[in-house]
Order: sequence, then structure tokens, then C-alpha cells
Amino acid sequence: MMSPGNRHTRSAVVTGIGVVAPNGVGAETFWKSTVEGISALDGVSREGCEHLPLRVAGEVRGFEAESMVEQRFLVQTDRFSHFAMAAADLALADAGIGEGALGGTPYSVGVVTAAGSGGGEFGQRELQRLWGQGPTYVGPYQSIAWFYAASTGQISIRGGFKGPCGVVASDEAGGLDAIAHAAGAVRRGTDTIIVGAAEAPLAPYSIVCQLGYRELSTCEDPDRAYRPFTPQACGFVPGEGGAMLVVEDAETARRRGTAIRATVAGHAATFTGASRWEQSREGLARAIGGALEAAGCSPEEIDVVFADALGLPEADRAEALAITDALGAHGSRVPVTAPKTGTGRAYCGAPLLDTAAAVLALEHGLVPPTPHVQDVCHDLALVTGTARPAELRTALVLSRGLMGSNSALVLRRGADPS
Amino acid sequence: MTDQLTVDELAALMKKGAGITVDPNEMEQRPETPFEVYGLDSLGLLGIVGELENRYGRPLPPDADRCKTPREFLDLVNTSLMAGA
Repeated sequence: MMSPGNRHTRSAVVTGIGVVAPNGVGAETFWKSTVEGISALDGVSREGCEHLPLRVAGEVRGFEAESMVEQRFLVQTDRFSHFAMAAADLALADAGIGEGALGGTPYSVGVVTAAGSGGGEFGQRELQRLWGQGPTYVGPYQSIAWFYAASTGQISIRGGFKGPCGVVASDEAGGLDAIAHAAGAVRRGTDTIIVGAAEAPLAPYSIVCQLGYRELSTCEDPDRAYRPFTPQACGFVPGEGGAMLVVEDAETARRRGTAIRATVAGHAATFTGASRWEQSREGLARAIGGALEAAGCSPEEIDVVFADALGLPEADRAEALAITDALGAHGSRVPVTAPKTGTGRAYCGAPLLDTAAAVLALEHGLVPPTPHVQDVCHDLALVTGTARPAELRTALVLSRGLMGSNSALVLRRGADPS
Repeated sequence: MTDQLTVDELAALMKKGAGITVDPNEMEQRPETPFEVYGLDSLGLLGIVGELENRYGRPLPPDADRCKTPREFLDLVNTSLMAGA
């Protein structure tokens, strides 16, 4: 957790956003779809998955890995790393850091990713060879491709980034924890961290692993499958993809003459146990409180909340109560949104997409809507239908994981004046 | 398939196993150019060794995956194949 005492003069800011999402590849396309409330939820069409009881998901369809990543990196990695490598390139380009621009200072750039499940599709293919043909038919890249750390490693190798690298495996909310980890590394002295998460949980083996989650929505109708905060809430729809961000020291960004998009102001995380949604109320409220304290931010300063929006009635209730527990009366007035109802939850990638959307919302002064959601049955000012214009200075992003992690992140528009 | 590994076959294996496109003529002319220069890492070469062992139905020498250049690798593999023929 960040505390106001150790923020010194170094401040961690977001200067680049790279998105690979079901509703668009690239920050601009993603934002356009998000602000228009366009949903990408649809029937599951990935090979070998059509007969499984999961009927609706958010698939990344407009992504051509071959056009964005060299063949030799594609062959030795899973789809989740393909997304991450492409998103990292997009983020660096967005931050104005061109290829080779960091050639002289490779130790000043690190990589941090969060991962929830690793490379399931690659792993399934190799395990099928193991049992179908024998151990000598398993390719050696299996040893690294399935691994949670694969995306961090490959982004680092591919870009020659030799600064502090890490992987956060702390459940879905680990996506926010990774951003906090990156901000900490920047405050401790590293100039730039490429941070984020992308997941590819839509492959046969990976889907079968998820079928045991009682929170998973098996509804067949894309318009009804994921409707958090409504009386019809019947679980969540999984999605794939995610986002990578360039987080750097504010002074480094100023020296480069690049725009400071947002400041990573505060974060806190708690743990309340797997699927114990009622208990997540207290855990999430405490995470919010800790993040506000770290940011030196009062509840009334929060201008928009990006909700976790799990989509199970008891979990939605816990979140709505946590928001008012932590923000008081302001909690039922502040605009709350959950654009992930249009993309599905990409596990660790989900809070990254929310963070990307939050930075873009701060910049555009627009709170994006929550697709598919109409009649809200909780005491929350959930933005539905169309985007709502608002003066936005500070955003709160929330995330919870099925295994019990709760995280909150406070972002401020531009450079933090404090 | 001949009982000798050719440069063309090695180039095809590098493409299939490690995603690396190599011009076989170039590799033929400069067989001392290290695999590393083409971007083939140790796991990539290990995969090629495994593929050949499956294809020929017998093990290659234990240091096959430590060869640094196409010449070294082709010599080792072909000597081994001849000895076993």
C-alpha cells in the first residue's frame, strides 16, 4: 500500500494505454465502443468450445496476432501473451516511446503483469500430445508458455527491457495490485514500467476449469447473460484480452515532453476468502478506505467509480454497501459504472480495462454507460443507457476476485498537484 | 526423406518449431553463422532435436541441443545417423 509519507517528489503517472479488448483493439477504438455502450458479448465461437455449457462470452475477434507480433514470439507463447505483447506495443506507441528509443537505457524500463491462469490453450495442446502421442512429442516451449510469468518475460525479452520485472498472481484484483506494484517501482527509482494484464480464458480446457464457478453465467442470451445490480443478475460472463499501460515517473514524462494522462494516486488490497461475497463488503470497503488514505483523498473527491460488478445478487449487494460504507452518503450520489458488462470479465485483464477506461473517462469528462443494465435494484447511481458528461478529476476503480481478493485504485486526472 | 538431414530440412524445422524464417541458401553459404543470430534459442533447438528423434525413431547424441551453428548441428546429426544406419 502506498502511504502519503513515502511519495517524496517522485510520482507515478500513466502516459500510455494499449488495449486488446473484445470491443476494440487500440485505446481509441476501445474508448469509442465503451462510451457508446456497444456490447461485444456474443455466442462462444472459439474452436472446440461450441458444445460447452458456457454459451456467451466476450471474445477478442478483431485481433490479428501475425500483424502485430513476430512469428518466433507467437510460436513459443500462448494467446494470453500474444494479447499482452501487442498491448505493450500499443501502450509504448501511445506514450510516444518508439522502437529503439530506450536502447541506451534498458535498465530504466521494467515490466509487470498480473495473470490469473496462464496459457491454457497452449498447455492443452501440448498435454494432448503428451497423452495422445507420448512425452517426446511435447514441445519444449510448453515449459514457459503456460506459465503465469510468460507475458512479463516475453515483453521484457522482446523489447530488451532490463529494469525491475515482476508478476502479480493475486486473483482477478491482482490487475490493480500490479499497477500499484509498478507505481511503487517508479517511486523507488525506476523511470518506466510497462504494466498490465491480458488473459485468454476462452479455450476448451480453460472453459471447463471455469464451469465449476457458481458465479459463472450460463445464460444463452447475450443481452441477458451479465446484468449486475439488477434483480435479474445471474452471474458473470467471462471475456478475454486486457490492457497494458506505460507508468512512469512524472519528471521523466515531463522531460520527454509527453502528456501526463493520470496519476496513480493510491491503492489498497484486502482478502476475504473465496466466494465469500457477503464478507467482501467489509474487505472492499477497507480497500477503498486504504486507497483513499494513500491518495490523501476525501470520499467527496471521488467523481466516478468503476465497479467490480460481479453479477451475483449477494456480491452486487456487498459491493453497493461497501461503496456507501467507504464513501458515506456520497457513495449513493457519485456516478458508478461497469463497462465490463459489454466486454465480459477478462479476469486480471478486467480491472486493467477498467483502469484504461477510467483514464480515458477522466480525459474526456464522460462516464461510460453499463451495457445491458436497466433497472438497478441497489442504492447506487449506476450510469446506464448513454454516457454521462461530468467534470471528472478523480476516479476510483474496484476489483474483486473469485478467490477472495479485493482491491481499490485511485487515479487523478493529469499530474497530481499534491 | 533421405537418411541425411539437409539444410532445407533444417530451415523447415526452424520455421515449424520456432517460427524462424531462414533462407536455406544463405544458411548453406554461411553455415558458421550461429543459430543465435537467426533468433533460435536453446529451447528452439531442443524442439528440433526432439522432432528429429521422433522422425528417425532413435536418440541423437546428448549434446545435439548444445550445437551453436548449423554446420556443427548438421555434422553431428548426420554423423550420428550414418553411424546408426
